[in-house]
Amino acid sequence: MRLYPLLFLLLFVAGVLAVLVGSGDLTDPVLRDTFLKLRGYRLAAAFLAGAALAVGGVVVQGLFRNPLASPSVLGTTAGASFGGQVALLAYGVAGVGGSFIVPEMLVPIGCFVGALGALAVLLLFLRVTQDLLALLLTGFVLSALFLSLSAFVTSVAQETWELGRAVVSFSLGSVSGTGPRQLAFALPLIAVALVACWFWGRSLDLLLSGEEEAQSMGANVGAVRWWSAIWVSVLVAGAVSVGGNVGFVGLVIPHMLRPFAGTKHRRLIPAAALAGGIFLVGCDIVARLVPSRSEIPLGVVTGLIGAPLFLLLLIRLRRERAYA
Amino acid sequence: MRNGDGHSSLRAQGVSVTLGGRTVLHDVGLEANPGEVLALLGPNGAGKSTLLKALAGLLPYEGRVEIAGVDVASLSPRTRAKRVSYVPQRSLLRSALSVEEVVALGRYVHGGSFGGMSNNDRDAIDHALETAHADVLRDRIFTQLSVGEQQRVLLARALASNAPILLLDEPTAALDVGEGMAVLRLIRTLAARKHTLIVVLHDLADARSTTDRALLLKEGRVVEQGSTADVVSPGPIRDVYGVSLIENARIGFEPADTDTE
Repeated sequence: MRLYPLLFLLLFVAGVLAVLVGSGDLTDPVLRDTFLKLRGYRLAAAFLAGAALAVGGVVVQGLFRNPLASPSVLGTTAGASFGGQVALLAYGVAGVGGSFIVPEMLVPIGCFVGALGALAVLLLFLRVTQDLLALLLTGFVLSALFLSLSAFVTSVAQETWELGRAVVSFSLGSVSGTGPRQLAFALPLIAVALVACWFWGRSLDLLLSGEEEAQSMGANVGAVRWWSAIWVSVLVAGAVSVGGNVGFVGLVIPHMLRPFAGTKHRRLIPAAALAGGIFLVGCDIVARLVPSRSEIPLGVVTGLIGAPLFLLLLIRLRRERAYA
Repeated sequence: MRNGDGHSSLRAQGVSVTLGGRTVLHDVGLEANPGEVLALLGPNGAGKSTLLKALAGLLPYEGRVEIAGVDVASLSPRTRAKRVSYVPQRSLLRSALSVEEVVALGRYVHGGSFGGMSNNDRDAIDHALETAHADVLRDRIFTQLSVGEQQRVLLARALASNAPILLLDEPTAALDVGEGMAVLRLIRTLAARKHTLIVVLHDLADARSTTDRALLLKEGRVVEQGSTADVVSPGPIRDVYGVSLIENARIGFEPADTDTE
């Protein structure tokens, strides 16, 4: 199969472009190292976030047997986003945490606390109901709740111009300000969650036939639901903490890959991690290239590229009847 | 641990199932042994499929289900699936998996955590496809097969797990007469190989031709239990279905050629 050589080639090209493209002048020997370093962080952040979101999408689509699911359906994305915004607001307004937490770590920690809060509610409901539809509805309600809370935080933040800008920019998604500390925080979490998802791959294969059949074939359906929710939440929290709230990656990438990598999760998950990373690195390059007064937010670029791409895929998949 | 070629009997005592506050199965007891086909019969809504799912551990139930003397409730889903395999009437699978990939799912219980496929897995898959006469379908997409072909693939998936006990939910429903006969003959082949089979059947003539013993259910209770010839007889059939049984009145079929076996 020539999928992996292609993905690595694309990754190499995207990586080189991500380092070369941008508004800074690389011929200036004084600033060159700084520019390269910043672009390197940016590249790493985009790749990590993209990999995490794409694999989150694969797992959630398998869990719900629904090709329209994205990792945000669990509500933990909105939770992470809300947590990050609260951290920004708390720091900006009251200077909270400044004395005992490095300021740039406030947002990632806020993201994780937010995601874990949403996850706790999700798991509580899962324990009570033991039902997949209830899980989906709980995620939906949590999402709506945290989005409205986020809107409130955003409106409160408008009282200061600078803070308002920071909150809005965070919620639109950006990897431009991500530094080494944030990367060092998110990398192990995302890496562990990616491996864990790969381990659950065989169980997710069984779930393609529905919960009852999966159970009859020996899958522990309750455990699959439980751990999928946990690992997807970790992935999403990691992604939001380095890249803000970026949509579409988790929806589009799994679809793009299935015709090439097949439906089996153990093959799909590593491929999705690579492709998701490449996609977001590419989107970040586009964000830098398009001329505008400031950079186009990453979340806007993924939408602008992802939506038409998804529609094209949908037409193709329908024609081939690969998806019923 | 009991493996593929181990033979196991299944015994149920006082099994009751309550769904949504309504008791749909009352105090059912049964026994099925290696080399034997037990039919679950009864009108629609009698609780046949519910009983089968309870035996497969797919529904919460009261009472006790034992495999080779071990309480099924004490087994992990994985261990249970190594001993009992359940074949649904239709699969809910909608993804574009090939037949071989579908049958490979049956090997889940034998896979290690890292597992690619071992030679054992490949042999079991080949053997299962062959037994179910599904080897010609190997590279086809499961969702694009006919209902009869899908049924054979689902049987192969169950066989790939090497479980000694097979539970089949209306395996001949929606099949044409040729496909149905192929499945019934397969059931006999599996019994000859000392599998323990419990089969929900709609067609009483199929039950008479293929099964050794039968359990007749009405409104969640066992009405009659014994050899299929005794159970599918005028008395019990009139009581349960409200129809008279006329011996030899139905058109019969038999395989036209014998080269499939």
